[in-house]
Amino acid sequence: MNIVCLGLNHQTAPVEVRELFAVSENKLGQEAGRICEIEGIEESVVLSTCNRMEYYAAVDDCRIASNQLRSFLQRHGGEPLRMEHLYEKKRVEAARHLCRVVSGIDSMVLGETEIFGQVKKAYQAALESGTTSRRLNKLFQKAFGIGKKVRSHTGIQEGQTSVGSVAVDLAEKIFGHLRSSRVMVIGAGEMSRATARNLLSRGAHSIFVTNRSFERAEELAAELDGEAVRFDDWQNALQEVDVVISSTGSPHAVMDRAHVEAVRRKRRYRPLFLIDIAVPRDIEPEVGEIEEVYLYDIDTLKEIAQEAKGQRAEQVRLCERIIDQELVESGLFEP
Amino acid sequence: MAQWILVAATALVVLGGALGVQAVRTGRRNRGTMVCMLLAFFCQLGVLGVRGELRGKCPLGDYGEILAFLAWSLVLFYLVVGPAYRISLLGLFTAPVVAIFQVVALMPGVMDRHPVEVDEVDPWGEAHAAFSVLSYGAFALGAVAALMFLVLNKKLKEHQLSSSLFRNLPPVRSLLDSVVRLITMGAGILTVGIVAAFMMERENTYGTHLVVAVVTWLAYLVVIGMHFWRGITPRRLSASVIVLFVLSLLVFAFV
Repeated sequence: MNIVCLGLNHQTAPVEVRELFAVSENKLGQEAGRICEIEGIEESVVLSTCNRMEYYAAVDDCRIASNQLRSFLQRHGGEPLRMEHLYEKKRVEAARHLCRVVSGIDSMVLGETEIFGQVKKAYQAALESGTTSRRLNKLFQKAFGIGKKVRSHTGIQEGQTSVGSVAVDLAEKIFGHLRSSRVMVIGAGEMSRATARNLLSRGAHSIFVTNRSFERAEELAAELDGEAVRFDDWQNALQEVDVVISSTGSPHAVMDRAHVEAVRRKRRYRPLFLIDIAVPRDIEPEVGEIEEVYLYDIDTLKEIAQEAKGQRAEQVRLCERIIDQELVESGLFEP
Repeated sequence: MAQWILVAATALVVLGGALGVQAVRTGRRNRGTMVCMLLAFFCQLGVLGVRGELRGKCPLGDYGEILAFLAWSLVLFYLVVGPAYRISLLGLFTAPVVAIFQVVALMPGVMDRHPVEVDEVDPWGEAHAAFSVLSYGAFALGAVAALMFLVLNKKLKEHQLSSSLFRNLPPVRSLLDSVVRLITMGAGILTVGIVAAFMMERENTYGTHLVVAVVTWLAYLVVIGMHFWRGITPRRLSASVIVLFVLSLLVFAFV
């Protein structure tokens, strides 16, 4: 089966190049139609997302069609396209690439699911504009089947690989939806800012920010749409919150067991998740011995992230095996 | 006949539990456990229906029937609570408890093979028995959810986060909410059972069974009151719910 894939993505081209080739969702079918007007190209599908732009074409001769497509892209981009921005896949390699894309293992966020829907929309647009036929129909249907199998048979979407994401996952494991969770940030550093942002993106609200310099606390609070608390008052805020992110530059512990013991009754013994990302540590390890407290320091979070990275690499290998096996069994590329 | 249906129900429950274990091992969710529990529920209804016909009253005349009724009640609450609170693993934890109840009920001599049909039925007595055993289903499921919390709590405290079991357990807050809802529901139903017990026809004495039932009811009210009034640590709440359920089974020793 003569299939060609020509494209560029987040790994090969910067955003200022990718945006030159972007095609809006409602023009994907039309663009696929333009590709089919090129001599030697019989079928085509155009995929355009914020991270990639790819042309899939069923052709008579891969080499000739590939050159034609490149020329088309040069004209389309409006300025000379550097070859290193482009990748080209032919026959079974093109099919394998499509399966990797559909499965989310070629995505910027490994295993993300949005791409599956985006490829489906691109295919649907091509189908409706009549630019696909026997070959691309078979290929895309197969790729969707493989994509589903990869997601259901592997843990490609599981596990977080950054400290901030691990912390957020743990917060969700404790509190479920974070919509009703209140957060306190102690120390207005970059790490606590990033972790707080992660929590906000998953629905947390009522962020309190405290810092030795009240001005910095106010700045970060404004940025996070939260409330600044004077450093002397953070203990009062402790009874209100569910999650504490601590990242001060203090050489001594900021929070000790007595601080938490003092508010346990007022908190009605609700679970409290403490994220200590400071070095030296801000929270005394003994605080973690309190029954309803879950304390995680930077080393533990890094360890979890590292473990997830290893597991993901293993899952990627498993995904590749499934894709190869499925493509062989499909018989689409028999010699 | 009833015994054979109970055997089928037990097989379904064991299958449901096995599918739950498989789901945890592979990290893939399936509806197998839920479907098996639903089918087991209908089998249990069949068992209770047949026994009810034989007795001519609510089938709570011997330990076998009580255990079958308890198992049915547990599955009933699982089917109501499990999907509603998205507690997918509850089935896996519930299945062994239900299986144990039913296996004991199937043991020779536990369920009377030829029950005597009664001539006259005391509606208050029937209401007492039915509501009380129903409440125990809620308490049992509360204990199961509490056990799940203790497992999750241990893993979170000790930073053991890589197992498939950890990934599949529901959040701490959902489990604790379920525990509180279930024991509150159970205490509410048991209240009806206790009131019915005082309305029953009896001689002017209060048997040990009733005393134990009232003590159980009061103990649950104390735990619920503590939770709502002053708060209680999640671990103590869960441990209390488990211990109370195990101790409360004593009530059946005095039936």
